[in-house]
Amino acid sequence: MSEAALADSTSYADIERQCQEELKKLKVDEDTLLADLNAMLNQRTYIEDKIKGLSRLIPTLKVMKHEAEELVSTINGISESSEKISSKIRQLDSARGHVDECLVRVNDLIDLEICSQGVQQAILDLDYEKGAAHVHRFLSMDQSLLKKTANDMNNMSNMLKSVRTLQEAAAQLRAIVAHKFNEAVESEDLGSVERFFKVFPLLGMHEEGIKNFCTFLRTKVALTADKNLKSAISTSLTDKRYAIVYADTLTLLFEGLARVIDTHQPLLETYYGPGRLLSAVSILQQECDKQVKRVVQEWSKTRQIQKKIQQISEHSRITSSASGSKLEKSDPKDLDILIGEISLMHFRCELYIKFIERKALADMEIGISEAEQKNKLSKVLEQLILNSELSQSKHELLSHYLRLEQYFMEESVAKAVNIDTVELSFQTSSMVDDTFFIVRKCIRRSISTGSLDGICVTINNACRVLENDYCDVLKARLKQGYPSGYLDLTQAYNVLQNSIQQGRLQPGDTEQSRTAFIVALNNADSSTEYITALVDSIIKEIEGACPNMNSKERGKLESCLSGISAVSARLAEVIEYGIQQLKSTAIKPRINPWMDTFLNFSHQLTEDELSAYEAGESFVQTLIMNLETLLSSFRDILTSNNYDHFIKVLTLEVTQRFEKVVMKTQFNRLGGLVLDKEVRSLAGYITSGTYWSARDQFARLTQIATILNFDQIEEINDYWGNADDAITWRLTPTEVKTVLNLRSDFRSEDIKRLRL
Amino acid sequence: MDDYKFLFKVVLVGNAGVGKTCLVRRFTQGLFPPGQGATIGVDFMIKTVEVGNEKVKLQIWDTAGQERFRSITQSYYRSAHALILVYDISCQPTFDCLPDWLREIEEYASSKVLRVLVGNKIDRDDREIPTQVGEEFAERHNMYFLETSAKESDNVERLFMQIAEDLMKQARMTNVPRYDPNNYNVDPASQDSGCCSRLN
Repeated sequence: MSEAALADSTSYADIERQCQEELKKLKVDEDTLLADLNAMLNQRTYIEDKIKGLSRLIPTLKVMKHEAEELVSTINGISESSEKISSKIRQLDSARGHVDECLVRVNDLIDLEICSQGVQQAILDLDYEKGAAHVHRFLSMDQSLLKKTANDMNNMSNMLKSVRTLQEAAAQLRAIVAHKFNEAVESEDLGSVERFFKVFPLLGMHEEGIKNFCTFLRTKVALTADKNLKSAISTSLTDKRYAIVYADTLTLLFEGLARVIDTHQPLLETYYGPGRLLSAVSILQQECDKQVKRVVQEWSKTRQIQKKIQQISEHSRITSSASGSKLEKSDPKDLDILIGEISLMHFRCELYIKFIERKALADMEIGISEAEQKNKLSKVLEQLILNSELSQSKHELLSHYLRLEQYFMEESVAKAVNIDTVELSFQTSSMVDDTFFIVRKCIRRSISTGSLDGICVTINNACRVLENDYCDVLKARLKQGYPSGYLDLTQAYNVLQNSIQQGRLQPGDTEQSRTAFIVALNNADSSTEYITALVDSIIKEIEGACPNMNSKERGKLESCLSGISAVSARLAEVIEYGIQQLKSTAIKPRINPWMDTFLNFSHQLTEDELSAYEAGESFVQTLIMNLETLLSSFRDILTSNNYDHFIKVLTLEVTQRFEKVVMKTQFNRLGGLVLDKEVRSLAGYITSGTYWSARDQFARLTQIATILNFDQIEEINDYWGNADDAITWRLTPTEVKTVLNLRSDFRSEDIKRLRL
Repeated sequence: MDDYKFLFKVVLVGNAGVGKTCLVRRFTQGLFPPGQGATIGVDFMIKTVEVGNEKVKLQIWDTAGQERFRSITQSYYRSAHALILVYDISCQPTFDCLPDWLREIEEYASSKVLRVLVGNKIDRDDREIPTQVGEEFAERHNMYFLETSAKESDNVERLFMQIAEDLMKQARMTNVPRYDPNNYNVDPASQDSGCCSRLN
């Protein structure tokens, strides 16, 4: 009960405090309200003033509204009247149009009259230009409009008469001009030919004009070409240019044609308008085709192309079937000049085709505006060129070129291999220089034909010749093997005696076949460098010769060029093969006994023995001396790449064998110390002779020596696992234990106990 | 850049007008351009296809059938991984020339090249060579055989995909390292670095 009362009393006190707070809040509110009311009262007079001012404005606004309405109606009025005026102007405009049209018709009528009178006079005066100008004026009139005019007029018979006169005059003029033109052509009157050529377009005879004129030009071209060909045929053998006289003849023909086009194009453009060159070119092309065919035929006959090609294909058939019979063979040297001539002829054709294309396309660009028409015409041009005798002859020339070039390359490389000679002071023999000279020459010549297809094919052929013929020869020479040296003099003497007695071996044979082997190996190495240089130089030359290759052409070229890198891969294989041969005959048989002498030296030494050992001729000194003798016999005769390769293989053999003999030896502490020194000096010796560090190849051996050099077994823990001096081990834990076991002073139980 | 693993060269040969270019166009661009002009020299197209999740780049060499381009076209046989020999089923002479083509392939191409015989134009109803005759010829010469229509797009995709798959299989087999210094034999199809070379 008392507890409840206590709770009540606290709640009352709470309530009272809350009431007090509420009251205080209300008082604050009341104060702010009062303040607001006071402020409002203060503003009242100000607001009343404003209201009075506004009410004074009202009458002014009414006036403004009225005036604005008046303004609107005025503007409406103005717009209506301007609408009326503009429609009148439109009427005036169309009236003026009619007047203009009328004027044209009147002008036409007047001109018609003048022309019809003038044309007759002009014909009588033989002033064909004037007559044609009248006809041209007449033709430029809208013929249907003329008819309409005639219908509208009273004296229409008069006008119709004029029209008839003019039509007759036009026909008459056309006949006359055509006739006169032919006359001029017959009498070789160049001035008149050009005069009437200019008249044709006035009479609306554009195509006839071009055809007649170009036919005339054709006869001119034919005449010169005939003369040139005759003089080519009669060129004497002793003439300086005899070897390329047909290329010269083609050049003259193309230059003549190009000159004809160049000189007459401005005439054509002025009198016939642009966009008509294609018609002219296609007529001239007929003559070009005819003449090119004649030149090529004559060339083929004089140079006996068919016979040579036939010989070549027979030759290749016989060698491929390997019957080995001797056949009359063309000397590649004799073909050299002929191939040069063909490539020149082909290049000239290519150049002329490009010239025509460029000219005709540029003319179309200016003369023809519709894209569709332009497209159509460029297709016509494309077909014209594609189907021309010129293109056919060009393809034929390329085909001959490629057959002969392929034969030339194959035979020349075969010859280079046959006459291969070794000069004493050189590491390589003549076939390398010669072969790459030939291949480069052929590819460069193919570039000079200007045909990307020709270039690609020649590159393909070069790849085949190098990869098969050339590499095979090198490989075959390496297959003969490197005659191994003899281990000691007596053995060498015995073998030599026996061989000489049996007539198998001439003294010096070994030396010769050794040189042959080394040279072949060097040849393969330097060929790799030649190939890189070859690719670099021909890429540059091709970029220069064909600057505007599209992506497809580029892809084609790149694909063919990638064939050359296949040759490098093949060469690398040949080199590897040779080095392996060397390893088995020159390295292994010598290294093994040298290394095995390690077993003759005790590695369980006392202090005294150690001093004696270090003072005397130690194992490693002898080894280094032997290695030096071996290496020095190869150092100067091998190319630096091959020598490096050789040392790598040798080092591998030495370290592997070294490891083997170490594993067969027992060591004590001092013996381990000696071994450590020996390994260090051997590694130092080999590294000093190479461009690369032999340290990596010595890693296992060095680690073995380190282990054998320990004072105590526990030292291993300083190098193992997470220790501060831990190294990357090339030995497995089992191997480490095996090595530790070689130390006679380490107890095997302690080694077993090691946790690695 | 190029994310393909295999690159194969496929060369199409056969008489002029049998539809080599149309087959290539159909496969590479999905087009059948009528009134195709004669090919000049060799044309070259690329299409990358997928065989069992592997990207394979096919380099397709479309050769001119005309005799005067022979010295150009022959030089591409050597590096080819597959040769497609095409004839026109409605034109007996194109079939009669096949032995000549085979002789040429024998002479210039690698002995390991995959050879496929294709009778094209089966959309035509004036057939002169029955399917069986083509089949027998192919069998006799150890070739694959397929009849196609570039116009109707029949078997074209299949032809090239089959080739890609076969070459892949071949490449995987020869790619096993097998270097033996004492018995190295020249094997142009697999040692050619351009060939089946794993790129990347």
